[in-house]
Parts: sequence; structure tokens; C-alpha cells
Amino acid sequence: MRWLQNLSNWLRSLTQRNTVEQELGSELRFHIERQVEENLAAGMSAQEARRAAVREFGSVEQVKEDCRDTRRVNYLENWLNDVRFGLRMLRKSPSFTFFAVAVLALGIAANSAIFSIADNVLIRPLPYRDTNRLVMVWEDASAYDFPKNTPAPGNFNDWKARNQVFEDVAAIANASLNLTGDGNPEDLIGKRVTANLFSVLGVTPALGRDFRAEDDLPGSPHVAILSHGLWLRRFGGDPQIVGKEITLNFEKCTVVGVMKSGVQFPDRETEIWVPTRFTTEQLTNHGNHFLQVVARLKPGVPLKTANANLATIAAQLEKEDPESNAKVGAFAVPLRDELAGDVRPAILMLVGAVCFVLLIACANVANLLLSRATGRRRELAMRLALGATRGRVIQQMLTESILLSLFAGAVGLLLSVWGTKFLATLIPAGIAPMSGSGVDGRVLLFTLVISLSTGILFGIIPASRVSQFHLTYSLKQGGGQSGVGSGGHRLRDALVVCEVALAIVLLAGAALLIRSLQNLYHLDPGFRADHVLVMRTPLPRQKYEAFAPRTSFYNQVLAKVEAIPGVVSAGYTTWVPLTNYGGATGITIEGKPEPAPGNVLIPNTRIISLDYMKTLRMKLVEGRAIEPRDSAGTPPVALINQTMARNYWSGENPIGKNFKVGEYKEKVPWITVIGIVGDVHQAGLDAPARAEMYLPYQQQDFGYEPEYLAVLTSGDPMALAEIVRQQIWSVDKEQPVAGVMPLEDLVDENLSSRRMQASLLSGFAGLALLLVTLGIYAVLSFAVTQRTQEIGVRVALGAQPGQVLRMIFSQGLKLFLIGAAIGLACAIALSRALVHLLYGVSAYDPVSFAVVTILLAVVALLACYIPARRATRVDPLVALRYE
Amino acid sequence: MTKPTDLVQGTLDLLILKTIALEPMHGWAIAQRIRHVSKNVLQVNQGALYPALHRLEQQAWIQAKWGESENNRRAKYYSLTRAGQKYLKSEESNWERLSSAIGLVLKTV
Repeated sequence: MRWLQNLSNWLRSLTQRNTVEQELGSELRFHIERQVEENLAAGMSAQEARRAAVREFGSVEQVKEDCRDTRRVNYLENWLNDVRFGLRMLRKSPSFTFFAVAVLALGIAANSAIFSIADNVLIRPLPYRDTNRLVMVWEDASAYDFPKNTPAPGNFNDWKARNQVFEDVAAIANASLNLTGDGNPEDLIGKRVTANLFSVLGVTPALGRDFRAEDDLPGSPHVAILSHGLWLRRFGGDPQIVGKEITLNFEKCTVVGVMKSGVQFPDRETEIWVPTRFTTEQLTNHGNHFLQVVARLKPGVPLKTANANLATIAAQLEKEDPESNAKVGAFAVPLRDELAGDVRPAILMLVGAVCFVLLIACANVANLLLSRATGRRRELAMRLALGATRGRVIQQMLTESILLSLFAGAVGLLLSVWGTKFLATLIPAGIAPMSGSGVDGRVLLFTLVISLSTGILFGIIPASRVSQFHLTYSLKQGGGQSGVGSGGHRLRDALVVCEVALAIVLLAGAALLIRSLQNLYHLDPGFRADHVLVMRTPLPRQKYEAFAPRTSFYNQVLAKVEAIPGVVSAGYTTWVPLTNYGGATGITIEGKPEPAPGNVLIPNTRIISLDYMKTLRMKLVEGRAIEPRDSAGTPPVALINQTMARNYWSGENPIGKNFKVGEYKEKVPWITVIGIVGDVHQAGLDAPARAEMYLPYQQQDFGYEPEYLAVLTSGDPMALAEIVRQQIWSVDKEQPVAGVMPLEDLVDENLSSRRMQASLLSGFAGLALLLVTLGIYAVLSFAVTQRTQEIGVRVALGAQPGQVLRMIFSQGLKLFLIGAAIGLACAIALSRALVHLLYGVSAYDPVSFAVVTILLAVVALLACYIPARRATRVDPLVALRYE
Repeated sequence: MTKPTDLVQGTLDLLILKTIALEPMHGWAIAQRIRHVSKNVLQVNQGALYPALHRLEQQAWIQAKWGESENNRRAKYYSLTRAGQKYLKSEESNWERLSSAIGLVLKTV
């Protein structure tokens, strides 16, 4: 109970300050009056009695001050006074305040925005139970150029049955689901999943129920779980949706649940989940690789053990089924790593970059504060002379700098709200959950912490300098203009050197990324994307079961589309470039020995129409293109790319050679190579091409159906989008058309994260450049002001303007050179971290390093010029009278 | 900074607590009482007395009330709180131990 009394006493001292003060005054007055009475009683005269009493008491103010101290409110009051004073000081020099707040706000905003991204992707827990135990399991088919391959259902099934390390294993397959019925026919991005997926993840639907084992049996009634997004978008958030029927791929399907809003598995684009309904036959198929597999480790099982177990099972499967499983391994990757994947290095790079920007901003503001502190020497000296302790003065100065940084933090937070939205596009859709606005309690806290530490960081240097100055010296000086100790110079110089070094590192990183991006833009991807419109028309299996109706659909659509005015040509393909890096088929080459298991040739397979090559303007290197005479009745033909020619027929001319799909014993016709085409970058502009073959769709049924329609137009491709769609619907009015976009968008998207990285880093580097220019300028113009007298003397003694100019320039240049040397050394050490983000340029690219050094040098010289010019115009008479 | 250098740290607190244990008293009277009782040996400086009183009040060992003084003025009277009474007891026994221990050392050495 004593602490309660204690607290109430404290609160009373704090809140009823006036009463407490009055009481203190009358208490002490009473003491003196009482003593006066006593003295009078002892026989002193009235005057003497009072004088004696007062003398005996001593300093009333001191006693009061000590009493206040015991109440521990002084500290808070001091602080409030400091805040009030600080605010007044900031108001008094609005240009300084504006500049400092702006510089810091930019630095803080960059940090907050990047933090919210990093937090989302790398730190924040995923919305699943015990995320650390979730792993993705992949096939290792490095022997076939697929080091991280999508598993076959047979392998998934065997891993699930034989492992000793997982609680449970679930599989996911892509599904294109046509939603028809109410509203426009729509092609939903769906996933076929095993019934245990959500229980493996440890999540339950927000509405309705999870899948049950019986939902996953072939022949059972169709059911689906909607994503939260689809439920809101298409079904208006209907709370009665569970139990309702929808039409998916022309079949009735019951909605059994709606998933919670945060669950977006395996990616952000997934809109709906349906059971896989694998047949026993499918579950024993080891040759068709199209799944994603997620598993939950048993408690306490480390990743290493799981990988060892998977390797053992893979070895067993290799022995049991060499034809499909030779040289196919298996491995697990923690889900968190899987999701963060490619963006991790980019984000870490950006985190580093924004730290640098903030450090430069701090150095800049510290420099300004140092200059200001010099200007305020007299004020501070006066405070010290009047009895303020150095601690109090430091506290007051720190309060000012923290006030600055808190203002900057507030402004920075606002900027980062906008910045985060912009940055969110940096994250590929494959990365799962990305929370809505991006600015939440965590970002707020981060911004607060970083603002406070920034304030302390740039405030502590000038503040601690206070403790070093000599009182009498400072007070004697006229306006506190000259006589700055060399320590002040050195500190400011060191700050500028740091700024230059940090800026060089940022500029060098940006230069390397820009060069990489340039390399990618100038690279020949094997096709031209301009003026090409693409869209998907996935044919529903139920409707187009047979080969003939499918072929007739393609023929009719192509004929109608090519007849549209403004259309140059149109072609169908299974996948346009950059949409699928796989889609491969095993082949056997005539006249070559049957390959041993594990050495099977598996080129990418693209089924195309006549004019597809013309539409994408792919290059024919040798032989002939597919022609109308290659029809269903004639011997099958194929085009192959240069990589396939080089790898499969090294030293021979492949044209006229035969191969077949599958093994020797397979009863399928031989296919003749009729031409070689240039390599097309299918997997991404920065990824090398695989062996690839192109087969005409009209000759035979390959199991892969063309799905992408590409249309080459003479004008803006999107202008023809509607009429092309109408032509498709004129062939089949129920046919869904999805993903209508210019092919250039796919190229842009493919480079978007690189472009974003490069432009962000360039932006930060540009900011750094600006800050450094200001830093150098500020230091030199301050130095010129400080040295006015000295320069005046020099001029009076006969120094030429050129000499004065050189003197100032050399001071600036010295700082720049030291900074640049340190910066280059750091850049070389740090650029190794960028290796993963570069393309076609070495991390030590001398050109990049040279260019940024020259750039910074030019800017530094400009920053030197204005103060240097001012120095040459110093009038010796004025200068000597300066003090 | 006027601190009672002639008194062992904490002794002033003990003297104040003991003095007001008998009856509520104002600052001047406390100083007088200590002087009289100690036969003018202990002169309590005002500069130390009032901060000590305020500290003890802040720590809730003592409480203050405004009352009518012997010369009919308003004065601030201090008295022990319940916690203060306990605190005084323990401090007294501490002091006894300490002074007898010092006495022992002084006698024997």
C-alpha cells in the first residue's frame, strides 16, 4: 500500500504543481517567521531578529530546489521545458528544420517501406500452424535439366506411404476451372488438392467444412472450397453460400466451405480448391510430373533427417522403377524459404541500401547540427556559466534532435504508406500472403524505434562536443564566428568522408543492377513480343474429348481471327514463351542406341499451328517451316531449336532425321525433323533455353492441347482484343477466354522484379548522391565562413584568386578522395552479395565502378565550386574587420 | 548542495522519525527539539531538514497536515504513517546494533 501512497504523492506533485509550490513556500516562510519570533523573544531588535533568521536559514531557493528534487518531478519538468525550448528553436529556423525533417523523412520512409516488405516476406509468421514444420517436397531431376521438378503422383504417393519423418503429406495440381452459369463464363485459377491439404497446413475454413477423405475419391460428388477473395468478388460474400451448387467445367459442384482470408496457398492467385480425385492408376503413375507437394514434419524431426529419408525412398523407387525414376532424387525445402525464394536476396539488398541512405541522412543532419552548435556556442556557454550541468545541456540538445527525428518519422510514415503500396508490386504473385495495407502496428513500432535511434545517432555527436568546449573562450568571442577547434573540423570532415563512401557503395550497386537490366533488354530472346496479343482458350475436356472437334475449333478460330482487318497473322500454341518452363516429353532417336534409364532425352514440347512461328517472328535457322501440306494424312514432322540440334545430333545435320515420342517399342510413328529454329527463352529472359521441339497440332493428338492464341497485329494489339474475343465466341459461345494481354506485358512482368530492384536501388543511390552533394557543400561553405579572416589575410598578403580557389577545392577534393577510396573498397567487398541479382556483368565490373566514381567526383566538384567562388571574392578589408 | 556531512547518512531520517513519533510537529519545532534533546550537539541545518522531510513524505514514511501552530499561524505538521512506525522500529534496532558494534570496537582497540 505504501507504493500507492508514493504514487499519489508523486502525481500530486506533478498535477497540482501550483498548490504544492505554494505549500512549500508557506512552509519555509513559517519557519523563518517562527525563528524571527524566537529571536525577538531572545531580546533582539525587530530588524536584527529578521536578518539573523534569514541568515541562519540560508538560500530559500536552494532549499526549494532540493525539495523539488526529492519529489522527482524535476526530471520530467526539465524535459518538458526542453521540449518547449526545442520546439521554439525549430520554429525559429524554419529552413533548417524543413531541410533536416525532409532529409530524415526520406530516409525513414525508405526504411519503413522496405521493412514492411521484409517483415511480410521474411519475418512475419505465415498464417499456418507451426509453420517451421511445413516443407515443400520436390523431385531432383538434375540429370534431365530439372533440378527442382514438380513431383509425379506416383512418387508423391510412395513418399507419403513410406516416409518415417512426416506427419502427413499433401499434393496440389494446377486446375483450370471454367465457372459458368450466373454471369460471364470465367476461367478460375484453381488448384486440385488432396483432401488433407488444409489439415497439413493446420487451417480450417471460415465457413462450412474442410474436405473429407471421401470427397477425394473418383466418382464421388463434386465439391469445392472457395478462397475468401473469390467468395467476395464473385459471390458477394453470400453467407448462405455453403451447400449451394455452382457449375465448374460444365458439372454441378457443391460449395462446402469458404477459406479464411489470409490463406492463399500455394500462391496469392489461387481462387478455388477442388479435390484431386486421383484414380489408383494415376497414383501409380511415375512419369507425369505436375504436382506440388507440401508436408508437415513430425515434431522434433530436423530437415536433414527428412532429406535423408527422402533420399532413401528415392533410391528404392529408382531400383523398383528405373524407367521412370532413374536419377530422380527427392528433397524438402522449408516452406518459409520456398515462399521467400528469389526475393530474399533482393530484399536484403534493399534493406542494406535503405540503411545506407538513412546513415547518410544522419551524417548530413549531424553535420548541420554541428554547424548550428558552433553558432550556438554562446548560448550554451551561457547556460553552463549559469550553472547548468553538462549533462543537462546534452539532454537539452538531444531532446532537440529527437524532436526533429520524431517529426521526420511522422512524415516518413505517411510517405511509406504510399511507398509500401508501390513496393508490394515488387513481390511476385508466387509469394504467398501479403497483407493488405502494409502499414500496421509492427511498421509503426519500427518507425518509432528507428526515428528515436536516428535522433540519438545524429544528435549525440554534436551534443557530446558541448562537453569539450572552454567556457571563457567561448563567452569572450564576438559572435562565436571563428576559433572553432580543429576537433570540430575533423568531425565534420569524417562525416563527409563517410557519406561519400556510403554513396559510392550505393551508386556502384545501382550501376551493376542497371547494367544487368540493360543486358537483359538487349538480349535476343528468340522471339519478338511487340504487336502481339495473347489470350488463353482452355478447351473443356468434356466438350472436346475427341481430336477432330478440337482441331476444327482451332482451324475455325484461326481462320476467323486472321480474317480480321489489322491482323497480320495468328497462331495457337500450348504455351507462349515465359508461361511454362517445362512441358517436356521423353523421345527416342532413330538409329541411336536405346538410352539407359536416367539418360532419356526429354525436350520441351510445344504444339503449334501453322503461323505461330510467323506470329512470334521466331527465326528459322535451317530447313523449312511447317506448311499446310503437313496435315493429318502425311508423315509427322517437327521443328527443333538450336539447343536440341546441338545436344541431340552433335556433329550431324539433324534435318531429315527421325525420332519418336516415348520408347523404341512404342507403337507410334516416327517424326521427321524438317527445320531448326532459333532458341526461344521459355523459362525467363535470364534463363538459358532448353532443348525444345515444335510439332504441328493438326497432324496428331499429342495429349498436350494448344491453349494460347497469339495474334500479330499491325497496330495496338489491345485495340483488337474485343473483336478477337467475339470471333472466338462466334465459333463456340460458351468458350471461356482468359488472360487477354499484350505479349509485351509478359516480358515486362518477367523483368519487373529486376527493373524494380534496379530502379529502387537507383532511386536510393540518387538520394544518396543528393545528400552527399549537400553535405560537401555545407561543410565547405561553413569552412569558408570560418576561414574568412584567414583568407582575407592571405589575399592581403598577395594570394591570387586561383590560389584561394585551389585551396578550397583541394580541401573538398581531399575529403572526396578519401571517401571514394574507402567507398570503392567497401563496394568491392559488398558487391559479392549482389551476384544473384546480376546478369551478364561481373560483380567487380570496373566500368560500373569507374562511372560512379567519376559521377560522384563531378558532383563533388560542383558542390565545391560555389563556396570556393565565394572564398575568392573575400574582401581583405572586410575580412580583417570581421571579428 | 548542503548535505549533513556531520551526521552519518540516514541518521537525520532516524532523528526526524523519532522526534515526530511522540506527536505531530512542524519543521522548525523538529529542528529545535533535536537541538534541545541533544543538548545543542546536533544542529540540524534547514537546507538538509526540509529536503529530508519532503523525501520522507514522498516515500510515505510520514504524512503532513496543515494545522494551527502555537503562535496561531498555519504550519505544516508532520506525523508518522503506519509504515513509518514500522520503519522507525527497524531503523532504531539497526542503529542500536551499529552503535554498540562501533562502541565495542572503540573500547577494545
